[in-house]
Amino acid sequence: MLSQTNMGPASGERTDGDVPSVDIRVSDLDVNFGQARKALSGVNLAVRQGEFVALIGASGCGKTTLLNVIAGLVPAAAGSAMIRKSAPAAGRRDICYILARDALLPWRTLLKNVEYGLEVSGVPRDEREKTALAYIEKVGLLNYRDFYPSRLSQGMRQRVSLARAFAVGRQVYLMDEPFSALDSQTKLMLHDQLLDLWEMSGATVVFVTHDIGEAITLADRVVVMSKRGTGVADEIPIDIPRPRSAEALQADSRYHDLYRRTWTSLKASTE
Amino acid sequence: MSDSVSSEAGLGHAVRASDSRSGSILAGRAIFLIAFLALWQAAVAYGFADPAFVSSPTSIVEAFWKLVEDGDLAPNLLTTLVEIMISFALSVVLGIASALVLDRSDWLNRILSPFLTAFNSMPRIALGPLFILWFGIGIASKVVLAVSLGYFIMLLSTLGGLKNVDRDLLLMSRLFGASELRLFRDVRLPWALPSIFAGLRLTLIYCSGGAVIGEMIAAQSGLGLLVQSFSGRFDVASVMALILVVAFLVMALTALMDWVERRLLEWSKGSTDVPG
Repeated sequence: MLSQTNMGPASGERTDGDVPSVDIRVSDLDVNFGQARKALSGVNLAVRQGEFVALIGASGCGKTTLLNVIAGLVPAAAGSAMIRKSAPAAGRRDICYILARDALLPWRTLLKNVEYGLEVSGVPRDEREKTALAYIEKVGLLNYRDFYPSRLSQGMRQRVSLARAFAVGRQVYLMDEPFSALDSQTKLMLHDQLLDLWEMSGATVVFVTHDIGEAITLADRVVVMSKRGTGVADEIPIDIPRPRSAEALQADSRYHDLYRRTWTSLKASTE
Repeated sequence: MSDSVSSEAGLGHAVRASDSRSGSILAGRAIFLIAFLALWQAAVAYGFADPAFVSSPTSIVEAFWKLVEDGDLAPNLLTTLVEIMISFALSVVLGIASALVLDRSDWLNRILSPFLTAFNSMPRIALGPLFILWFGIGIASKVVLAVSLGYFIMLLSTLGGLKNVDRDLLLMSRLFGASELRLFRDVRLPWALPSIFAGLRLTLIYCSGGAVIGEMIAAQSGLGLLVQSFSGRFDVASVMALILVVAFLVMALTALMDWVERRLLEWSKGSTDVPG
């Protein structure tokens, strides 16, 4: 339950000097579903600015619920969640949420879909196309910019979804298993693209997944959540240097050591 | 992405295949029509069918020319066309507007839905004589009858489209910070558009039917009035000629709508839904 152990003594609410400030702080959070069922109780979590945190845990451990509290989609019954020093709210202009499904608008071309996020964010018309094209190029889909989503593969659609999200350049990114529907080859490619986009953005990320390999490949820190919804069971710092390559990591012994360590921890959390 | 490139090639191939096939389909349709007309004509000519009951293709053409030459067709056609256009426009505007209100207010929807179902379950054609009694034998009674049919079709198909909008698209837009207005303009409305077009096509057919049937009950002019008077004189050829005129009128209006739909719903055409 003591999730702030790795936070180091200097990193609190104060943001002086070189110490990165806390972007997301969840304190003693309770969430109830219906009358009696507790989805989460007494959860604590802190995420530093610019940090990439992966939340893993058995299904039903409340990892998506925690993410949705941070996104302002689920209310807290007790305790609090603060994001960049203010309370959660859906549609905040400093938070971007990437859904498990790509949620592309089927009547818009790839380019217009990426522009959609910019439109909603109030970016002027003449800047939209330029920014959108730059991000479409970053995910390698420039040749497909005039295609409708129905003509793109699942992997390509999810890349469009990433481009749309990062084109709006927000401070906090929340992702709910965005790659769960993809095959493992496509997944590795999207991991690299996500890492590229994130490293350029410098954003804070909370990434929910049930895939241990994915969590280790992407994150600075893997947070294992306890099965009973009591929050953080274990934390594993991922000290693999960046930039990382998802494919090269597959043959990296550190990756496999961390995988074993996380697996053991995940196993323990379900007992 | 080799998979997408192959799908692109596959799509191009499919388009070309349908192009080359459309010629043979047109020829097939022509052959079917000619064979049907020839059989009909032959059956009457050789005494297998009584022309007093089924007429014949040549007498229908003659009857049509007579209607044109006597100057009966144009003014009656105009009356019917005006009735169809007014009732169609009213059905579409009122139907879509009501659907938008009912979609936004679940409370109102739950109060009104049994009444809407009840009214929609009534045989409106049977109400025709009452509409004549209330609104007279002019255009108004036909428009009311046609709208009473078309309005519900438009309302229900639009509401159906608005209700089943993809939750993830709404959630994504909301989380990006979209306003309610934008949710409507950029998500709900485009999502409902295919259902709206399906409704438009049916509404046109039902408005045409409503107008003609209303005219058959009691009218001062209109194609339905002509149908009624020719039926009374057992002039089968003229009745059939008039019914064909109505059919061609509706087909022409439908073709116009198809053209608009193709332009607006380009995204839903030729979708291959590439897996993987």
